[in-house]
Amino acid sequence: MPDETGDEAVRFRDRLVELVGRPVGSGVSVAPDPVNQPMIRHWAAAFEDHNPVYVDPEFAACTRFGGIVAPPLMLQTWVMATPKITGIAERGGSPVETEGDGPLSVFDEAGFVGTLASNSEFEIERYLHLGEVIAASTVIESISEEKQTRIGPGHFVTWVTTYVDEAGEVVARQRFRILKFRPDSR
Amino acid sequence: MTAPQRQPTLDCGGVEVGDRLPPLVIEVTATVIVAGAIATRDFMPVHHDQRYANAQGAPDIFMNILSDTAYCSRFLTDWAGPEAMVKRLAIRLGVPVFPGSTLTYTGAVTATSQVDGEGIVEVELRATTDLGDHVTGTAVLGLPVTARTG
Repeated sequence: MPDETGDEAVRFRDRLVELVGRPVGSGVSVAPDPVNQPMIRHWAAAFEDHNPVYVDPEFAACTRFGGIVAPPLMLQTWVMATPKITGIAERGGSPVETEGDGPLSVFDEAGFVGTLASNSEFEIERYLHLGEVIAASTVIESISEEKQTRIGPGHFVTWVTTYVDEAGEVVARQRFRILKFRPDSR
Repeated sequence: MTAPQRQPTLDCGGVEVGDRLPPLVIEVTATVIVAGAIATRDFMPVHHDQRYANAQGAPDIFMNILSDTAYCSRFLTDWAGPEAMVKRLAIRLGVPVFPGSTLTYTGAVTATSQVDGEGIVEVELRATTDLGDHVTGTAVLGLPVTARTG
């Protein structure tokens, strides 16, 4: 663990500053499938969301959307990587094999091994129609100073995902904040 | 054949600050959690494998965040109607949700306005279990404004 007052601490802070603006994951994730009715129907059934604009073409055609639209909060689902089920537990739950260490490994090396999701914020510009293929890119927006939390000291890390359509127009933005913390051993 | 009749979308003119949304109550089972995780394509084992969750220090599998935001949008549009558009949703995450809990969404209107011919409604919402607040947050909905004659 770094000595909070020594060179180690200064070096750690420098590394955090370097992370801001860096991509998370592979940079750009293109949805493996276009927005489609079977996945929407599966989603609507799982959450028992009976909104007809998601599944009833006749009804949806008469609304301001002009046709079936995807549930707005399915955004993240469209760009989720196709998982490799074999070995998922051994990979710590990561659905895909990743090459090398991600940018957040800086925290793990410094003892901030815990991860707790804290906030999720969506700004949605428009709803998606069937057949659209979206892509998402994620960058680290900010990293807080070390804070004392009820579960131990840690840093809040915020990243922003921008979702774009095939023309490159932004359809939504998502801000996601996690706490990387050093579990209290006391 | 006529277009199917469903619940109408709220007219923004009829929405007032302080209006309460009808609560949404989810009796959470392992099936509810697993169905939500897989429908959102979240294959993290903590959302479907109890042994794995136990090894991570959790007493059971727990609901994933994509299910939380899904239920938020359902809670909002069950009330506002099919043509309401979720423009913004900001949530803060609290206690986890395990099988056997009752998850209750409540909310109220905090502001209304009209922007570019669209009704804008702001809502404060909260989802709680017997362990405490699971989700607290705010949302902004866009509602079509019905043209009135006479």
